[in-house]
Amino acid sequence: MAEGIRRREALAGIGVAAASAGCIGRVRNIVGRDRSSQLVLEILVLPTDSDPVGIRIARSLSEHLNAVGIGTRIETVATTEIRRETLINHDFDLYVGQYKEAEPFDPDALYGLLHSRFTAEAGWQNPFGLTEVAVDDLLEEQRTVPNEDRGESVAELQRRVCDLQPFTVVAFPDALSAVRTETFTGWDTERPVSLGGLLSLEQADSEESDDPPTLQLATTDERITTNWNPIAAEHRRHGTFTSLLYDRLAETHGDEVVPWLARDWERVDEETFRVTLRDSTWHDGTPITASDVAFTYAFLRDTSMGGTETAVPAPQFRGRSATVVDSTVVDDVTVDLSIENVNRAVAERALQIPVLPEHVWSELTDPATVAGFEFDEGTTEALVSNNEDPVGSGPMRFVDSTAEASVSFERNPDHFLVRGDEPHATAVETEAETSDGDGGSDSIEDSGGSSPNPTEGIPDVYHGKPVFDRLEIEVVGSDVAAVQLVGDGFADGTASKLGPDAVPRIGREADATLISGPSAAFYHVGYNTRQAPLSNFQFRQILASLVDKATLVDDAFTGYARPAASVLNASPEWVPDDLTWTDGHDPVHPFYRGDGEDGGLDTERVRQALRDAGYWFNERGELVTRS
Amino acid sequence: MDPLVSVALRLLVWVFAMLLVAGVAIIGPRQLYDVPKDLIRHLRDARSYVAALLLVLVASAVGRGPLQSVSELVGLQLTGFIYAVEGEFVAWLQTFAVPELTLYFSWVYVYGYVFLLAFPFLAYAALPSSTMLKRLILAYTLNYAIGLLVYTLVFAHGPRNVMPELVTSLLYTFDPHIQSLTGEVNEPTNVFPSLHTSLSVTAAVFAVLTRDRYRAWTPIAGVLAASVVVSTMYLGIHWLLDVIGGIVLAFGCVYLSYRVVDADGESDDRHRL
Repeated sequence: MAEGIRRREALAGIGVAAASAGCIGRVRNIVGRDRSSQLVLEILVLPTDSDPVGIRIARSLSEHLNAVGIGTRIETVATTEIRRETLINHDFDLYVGQYKEAEPFDPDALYGLLHSRFTAEAGWQNPFGLTEVAVDDLLEEQRTVPNEDRGESVAELQRRVCDLQPFTVVAFPDALSAVRTETFTGWDTERPVSLGGLLSLEQADSEESDDPPTLQLATTDERITTNWNPIAAEHRRHGTFTSLLYDRLAETHGDEVVPWLARDWERVDEETFRVTLRDSTWHDGTPITASDVAFTYAFLRDTSMGGTETAVPAPQFRGRSATVVDSTVVDDVTVDLSIENVNRAVAERALQIPVLPEHVWSELTDPATVAGFEFDEGTTEALVSNNEDPVGSGPMRFVDSTAEASVSFERNPDHFLVRGDEPHATAVETEAETSDGDGGSDSIEDSGGSSPNPTEGIPDVYHGKPVFDRLEIEVVGSDVAAVQLVGDGFADGTASKLGPDAVPRIGREADATLISGPSAAFYHVGYNTRQAPLSNFQFRQILASLVDKATLVDDAFTGYARPAASVLNASPEWVPDDLTWTDGHDPVHPFYRGDGEDGGLDTERVRQALRDAGYWFNERGELVTRS
Repeated sequence: MDPLVSVALRLLVWVFAMLLVAGVAIIGPRQLYDVPKDLIRHLRDARSYVAALLLVLVASAVGRGPLQSVSELVGLQLTGFIYAVEGEFVAWLQTFAVPELTLYFSWVYVYGYVFLLAFPFLAYAALPSSTMLKRLILAYTLNYAIGLLVYTLVFAHGPRNVMPELVTSLLYTFDPHIQSLTGEVNEPTNVFPSLHTSLSVTAAVFAVLTRDRYRAWTPIAGVLAASVVVSTMYLGIHWLLDVIGGIVLAFGCVYLSYRVVDADGESDDRHRL
C-alpha cells in the first residue's frame, strides 16, 4: 500500500471492495493491524549553556541511532522541565543527564532508584519504571544481610542492573571548578563546592580583617534564585546550597558518617535507633525538638500527613525515609526511630535527611491548588512550594534574592559549628565555662556537665565554620562567562558544570585555578521502560552498545571523566572485577566499533543484533514498529 | 568595574561616536544642530507611538521572565523540529570562521546593530514632518510586541545550544562579558523569530524607502543589516529559520506602519492602535 494514502481513505476504499467481495474477515485482519512506521525516539537533554556535556552525549547517541535506521529528535529543555518530564510526569523516551549525588554513595541508593515499589511515585524513585522481581529481591537482600556479606549481594545486584540496563551509565565525570585563592584558601581538591568543601574553606592570610568576607560564586543554574525547597526534585541538583540551609541528622565526611544535627545515635535494639539531638534552634528562633525529627520522617513518607487517600511521598530522600517506618518522641532531644531490619550502613544512610521545622511544613500538607482548583490529588503544597524565606537550621540562612540573577545567604551565628568555636575567641578566656579553661582544646571529654560541647563528634575541620559571613551566588549565562567572572576577580569560584570550551579559558586567566575531582554524579542515558520498545531489555542493551563511552570521554569530557559500566564506580570497592572497565574495554555492553580507520560504528553488526532481537527494517533501512 | 557596567559603557561610547560622525556626514551639521529644537514638537506629535513603544519595552522587561516560564510549560517545543528542517546549515556557515570575521561580526552584532537601530531616530527627527518618525517607532513597536508573543508560543534553543561540537558560541567565547549584557535583554530560548534580524531589516527597509532624502544612509544601512543578519547565524545564536521569520516579520511591520500612518502623518482611524 502506498505510503501517501491516508489510512481513513484507504479503509473506505477497501471497505467497499471487501463488502462486495464478501471477504470481510481477511481484510479486517489486515487493516485492523496498526500500520508500521519508523521508530522515532525523543531524547530530552539540557542545552549547552546549562550542561555542555550532556548535549554532546545526546548528539553522539542520536547520530549512531540514525545510522542504524532509528529516528531521533533531540529536544533541549529547561533544567526544571527535564526533571519534571522525567521524574514527575514520566513522559519521555530517553533522556541524558546526571545522577543527583555528587559524593560517592552507598549501594542502598539503588533501592530508591530501582525498586519496583516506587515505580508509580514521582521523584528520584525509580523514574525508569523498572519492575523486575530479581532486582527487587537483591535490593532487599543487600539491606538486610550483615555488612560483611553485603559485598556479594551488591555485586550480584550490579550484574543484574548492567544486564537489564534501565539506564546506561556513560561516565563518571570530574567535577570541574575554577577558583581563585585571593580571599579564600583551602579549596577542597576534590569537591570544592560541596557542603564539606565550602565549610572547610579558610580565609586567606592577606585578607585578615575584622569582618569576615563574602564568598562569591558564579553558576549557570538559576534554580537556587527562585526555589529553596529541599524536597522539590525538579529544582535541586546536588542539594549543596539547601544543605547549607537545612541541617541533616548525619553527614558524610570522607567514607565516614558523622553526627551533625544529631549529637549521637545508638541502636537500642534490632529495630530501634535512638537519636539524641544537639542543642539548636531554627532560623526563626524556635528551638529544634525531637518532635521536629519525628515529623520530618512521617512527612517525607507522606507529605499530606494522612490527609489524602493515598500517601504522597516526597520526591527526594525516598529510599532513606522508607527505611524508618515509625518514630517516637522520647523527650525534647531524644527520638526513637523504628527501622526495618536493615544493616548498619543502610540505617545510617537513613539519618542523612534534612530535618524540617514542623511549625512551617505542617501548614503545607493540603493538596496543591492553582487558584483554588485542585490539579492532581497526588500533589501537596509542600511539593510545589518554592519555600520562600526558608526556615532551616543550617550554618547559613537566607537573606534575599533576585529571580534568575542572584541570591545571598548569611552566616547563622547561632549554629552549633559557630558556637563550638567560641572557646577559640580571645575574649572568652575570662568567662569560659569549661572546667579547665583550656580554650584551645577540642577534646570532647572535658565538656561534660550542663553545657556539653556544641560540636561534639563533628570533625575538627568544620569547627567555627563557615569563615565567610555571606554567600552570594550570581547567575551567569554560560560556563565560559562563569570562568571569566572568576578570572576577573568578581567571583571566588564556579558552582556549576564547566564544559570543553571553559577549561582552556581557566588556563589563560592568571588568577584562576582549575580544580578537578571525581564526582559520583554519573552521566547516563535514562530509558522509560514503561513503553515499547524501551520496555525490552534486549533493545536497551543494544542502545547501550551504541553509546561510544571511550570516545565521549575524550571529546565531550575532554578527558575529565572515566568511562564506566557500573553505577557504583565512584566507590570501586563495591564493583566486582567482571564489571570493572579495564584497558579501555567495556565489560558489559561494548560499543559496536567497526574495523574502519575512523573506529566508527559497525552499523551492519547493530542491525543484525536488532534483527536477532526480533526487530525489522523496511526497504529504506528504517527500523519500523507498529504504532 | 562590574562587567555589565563596563560592557554597557563601551556600547554607549561606541554608539554615541558613530551617531555623531554619521549625523554630521549624512544628516548635515546644520540639520543635526536643529534636531533638539524640533524634537519636542516631533515627540508631542508622535506621543501615542512613543507611549506604545515604551509600553512594549517595559512589558518586555517586566514580562519576559514570567512569559518565559509560560513558554517552558506550554510553548511548542520546536528545537528538534527546526533542526530536522534545516540541519547543520549554521554549522556549515561556521566552517568559514576566521578570527577577523569573528571580530567583525561580534562588533556588528553588538555595536553595529544598536547604531543601525538608533540612527534612523536621529535622521527622521531631522525631517520637517514627523511621518517617518511615527512609522519607524510604530514598526519597532510591532516588531517587539509580535516577537514577544511568538517567543512565548515557541520554546526553542539556538544552534550554539544544540550542536556544541559543531557550532561555537563565537560571540561569548570572544567576549564572555557580552553575555551579561545580552542576558539582561534576552532569554536564550527566545530564538524564533530573530529580533536582531527583524529590527535590522526594518531599519534597512526604511533606509531604502527614504533613499531620496538620505542617499548615503541606504547602502550603509543595507550593509549593516545584512551583516547583522549573517552575524546572528555566524555567531551560532540563531537558526536560518529564525532569520527567515525575522525578515518576514520586518516586512510585515513596515507594511503595517505605512498602512496605519498615512503620508500626511495622520493615523487612519480605522487602523488607530
